[in-house]
Amino acid sequence: MQLLAERSAARSTVPTMPTPSFTVPSAEHTALAAVSRSTSQHAFVWLALANAVGLLMALLLAWPSLNDLLAPLSYGRWVSVHLNGHLYGWCTVPLIGVALRVFLDPRHPHAARHGNIGLAAWSLALAAGSVSWLAGHSSGKLFMEWSGWMRPALPAAMLVLWTVLAAHTWWRRPSRVSDVLTGRALLAASVLAALLVVPVVFFWAAGATVYPAVNPDSGGATGAALLGSTLGILTLYGALPVVLGRPRHAGTGWTRAYGPRLYVAALVASWLLYSGLNHGAVSHHRLAPQAALGTLLAWVPLTWLHFRAYVWPAATRRWLLSAFACWALLVIDGWLTFLPGFSETLKFTHGLVAHAHLAMAGFITAVNHVILQCLTPSTDPEDPPIGPSTAVASSMATPGFVLWHVGLVLHFVALIGLFTVERSDVSALFLGSAAAEGWLWLRAAGGGVLLAASVIWVRNAFRP
Amino acid sequence: MTDAPQEESPRRSAVACAVVAIAATYVYFLLFAEFALVELALPLAEGRLRWLLGALGVGGVTGSLLAARSFRFERYTRSVAHGFRACGVAAVLALLAKTWLLMMIAALSVGLSLGWLTVILVSGLRGVLGGRRLGLWAGIGTGSAYAFCNLPSVFNASPADQTVVAAVAVVIGALAANGLSLTAAPRAEHADFQPPIPACWVVAFLALVWLDSAAFYIIQHTEPLRNATWQGAWVLGGNALTHLVAAVIAGIAIDRGFNARVLGLAFALLTGAALWLGDGAARTTGVEVLYTAGVSLYSTALVAYPAQGGRPRLSAALFAVAGWGGSALGIGLAQDLHHIPAWFCGAAGLAFAFALGWRHRHLRRVGAAALAVLLGGALTDSDVQANEEAVIAFGRQTYIAEGCLHCHSQYLRPSVAEDATRWGPVPSLAAQLQGRPPLLGNRRLGPDLSQVGNRRSAEWNRLHLIEPRSVSPGSRMPSYAHLFADGDPRGDALVAYLASLGRDSLAARVASAAAWMPHTPAQPRAGDQTELTRGRSRFAQLCAPCHGDAARGDGKLAARLAQSPPDLVQRPWRHLPEGLTPQERELHLARLIKFGVPGTAMAGREYLPDEDVVSLARFVAGLQAAGTPRS
Repeated sequence: MQLLAERSAARSTVPTMPTPSFTVPSAEHTALAAVSRSTSQHAFVWLALANAVGLLMALLLAWPSLNDLLAPLSYGRWVSVHLNGHLYGWCTVPLIGVALRVFLDPRHPHAARHGNIGLAAWSLALAAGSVSWLAGHSSGKLFMEWSGWMRPALPAAMLVLWTVLAAHTWWRRPSRVSDVLTGRALLAASVLAALLVVPVVFFWAAGATVYPAVNPDSGGATGAALLGSTLGILTLYGALPVVLGRPRHAGTGWTRAYGPRLYVAALVASWLLYSGLNHGAVSHHRLAPQAALGTLLAWVPLTWLHFRAYVWPAATRRWLLSAFACWALLVIDGWLTFLPGFSETLKFTHGLVAHAHLAMAGFITAVNHVILQCLTPSTDPEDPPIGPSTAVASSMATPGFVLWHVGLVLHFVALIGLFTVERSDVSALFLGSAAAEGWLWLRAAGGGVLLAASVIWVRNAFRP
Repeated sequence: MTDAPQEESPRRSAVACAVVAIAATYVYFLLFAEFALVELALPLAEGRLRWLLGALGVGGVTGSLLAARSFRFERYTRSVAHGFRACGVAAVLALLAKTWLLMMIAALSVGLSLGWLTVILVSGLRGVLGGRRLGLWAGIGTGSAYAFCNLPSVFNASPADQTVVAAVAVVIGALAANGLSLTAAPRAEHADFQPPIPACWVVAFLALVWLDSAAFYIIQHTEPLRNATWQGAWVLGGNALTHLVAAVIAGIAIDRGFNARVLGLAFALLTGAALWLGDGAARTTGVEVLYTAGVSLYSTALVAYPAQGGRPRLSAALFAVAGWGGSALGIGLAQDLHHIPAWFCGAAGLAFAFALGWRHRHLRRVGAAALAVLLGGALTDSDVQANEEAVIAFGRQTYIAEGCLHCHSQYLRPSVAEDATRWGPVPSLAAQLQGRPPLLGNRRLGPDLSQVGNRRSAEWNRLHLIEPRSVSPGSRMPSYAHLFADGDPRGDALVAYLASLGRDSLAARVASAAAWMPHTPAQPRAGDQTELTRGRSRFAQLCAPCHGDAARGDGKLAARLAQSPPDLVQRPWRHLPEGLTPQERELHLARLIKFGVPGTAMAGREYLPDEDVVSLARFVAGLQAAGTPRS
């Protein structure tokens, strides 16, 4: 009854959906800080685990006899853990933190616990999935390897998370019905309704009979699929400044005033372009997908204009710069990779892995650090963050940042080196050669450095 | 579980109606819901059959739960009649469905109506039939239905005709429902129906249904097993008779209080028959008797036990968990694994023995006996191995489980000439995407495998999987020797799967190999030591493991090959035609080195640069020039 009374009181004092505030009362600050801390812990633990598995895989390639010691847990079984640990762990958990930040009612006495339940459900599902992949239960679909008994695991975690978000949205609903139908409350309800579809679609998509259209000349994704997924990232990340509550720059410059508007207009235009594309098995030799993917080049300046229109905490700025540099490289080499000639050269090789590495270890990691930093509640957006995550923030900016980028470059160089070896003589990769050995060991070294950086972040995330 | 002796005898007409109702329900289930519905849906399914089975199961569970919630003794006759009518409507709907959506709706309706009907019918049977002969009447009804469905004319009828027969059966059932008059106490008070004992029964039935459904699915989808079990009028007639006799015996035993023994015997028979049928060569006439008897025994108990209890919730739990759940799990297991693994039999036996043993102390012996049968079977030949296609499917599953697709692609690009030369020929896009799911992969840390069956023998693949670096020195592939351990079917299944990839494209591959020309100078430069060194080095690395360091056919792997590698120095070469010029001889050797000799352990080295292939060919050609062939 007391809890109900508290909820009722909280509801009556929150007439509208509040934006994440940076001047918050102590209790709310504590709840937000606790959820932010948990998000960082889950995210960094998954990053470290996935990197540890990545290092193991690099060692297994450089020293294949090690597989015999680990059998039946040989190279192939670890790949799923590595890939999915990065995708559903490191890539996704910070976004779950954003959702919790937006939807959780920090005035609720158990807000932090509810946030932790959502995060724990997600991590539990991923941990169970990892065990199942190591045990040999897989659907055979990359990034959709939830099979058999594990197939409903992640959708179930999504439903738990959704329930948490929906419950808090309900508790903080406006007291007047007329207010529900306007503004942020309606937007929140719409987003929640859309999110409810995700577990169903995910479960369906994980089925063995469902497979996306294939580019017949590469065996990979079609231009339309690549454009759609990139636009999805742009939509999600483009909304970050708003959902993270970043204030706009007070300056009156044209770019700062119109950057976000340009971004939104271009996004709408791009989605319209996407909707007009042929979504079937279209070859990259066709002009239409080449041109459509080429429009992504415009997103290099657009992204720059958009993000520089907002004020970012000082500690995030180098990560933003890193993210932008990786993004620019990704857009350019991603498009080149798709073009005829380049595609045929790079497909199935370490060159394409280098592109993926740049995306995951470079771009996504940098953006995630910005997200985790911004989730930490602060009293002043221009100041370094306060509270329990200060240590996390400062370490992101110093040894971790440097180590990570050293590892990133080492790894990238090793992958390009391997690509050159296999392009000149693929038997050097299949049967071994001094050059291939050297690059593989360099790759393992890069993986070791990346792991060291992630361990530092884990340690800081758990530091009192 | 016998009842008080003073209980009033049921009316004969009510008994007849109850037997007919039981039989009609079973006919509907066996003939239509389990068989014909799936066959009717197949042309529309396009690989979505699991969704249909899922709809059927969801409907069944929902119908069972709804029935438990709304069951009233005073409305018993009407509820049973409604259930039969709903079943009839669902059958007609399935018969008329021409789209997948309608078929899904029909499946859901079938599940709902059948789930409803079974729970309602059995929950009130004790009130109609009394407790003394309940098992017998249940046995007659069950056995009659099984016997009817095994009549050759019914069994071999088209799915549409079977649906019509099932619809007629439920119409008769609806008419019979009107004669179900309640005369006895509707429920028995016995320890078997006091919590938590019913949970033991549910577990025991779950193990039985799970095992039966998996075995049934495998037999149904494995032609030799299907033929052995259900082909021919005599076999079917024998099955019908066995079903009827076994069900009646089961009913009598149940009336004497031997429920658990009936189930224990059913479990032992089913397991023994399944294991026996798994060994196609050792199959003996009469094995199907064990299977059909086991099915009838537990099917009778599946009606009699909840009917004795007269508790709708117990009936619903039993049919939802053991009936629908067990069927779904069994079919799912069979679809995924294509065989019944030993561990599954062991686990089912343990669960079964534990459930019944825990229920009553002396029944632990029954559990132990069942377990002994299981373990004995597991030690001899544990798996119900299906035919070649099932083995290949299991091998594909092993390929997925071991993560082979993370290093090996299965996609050949039509616009890349190298793909066709090395790993081809290139199939059509549709052919490359036909797997569920397609295993295209996105890396080539090893060769593409989409057509590996046309360029690597099963013997080579097996040896390579066990000792990759002995066969291909320098390879980064892990050893999969553990898949070939005694009693582990995964290794051989994986080899069978690899052999199946591209097995139809051998002729095209041979033609392509015969047309291949290396992109190198036709003649070596005089005294080119670099080329000689390269050829010798490649020979030592790639050929010596089989042919030996001195090319005498005595490599360290030679003794493990079915056919000894030839002595390349002093023996005539088997695969080189006579009368070739030195240039033609080199070219021919180069083709053999690059593409191998199909059907033998001599594998090609498609990925070597042309310079290396030619160097190797010239080195090998020089071997015989140095030696003295004896013939």
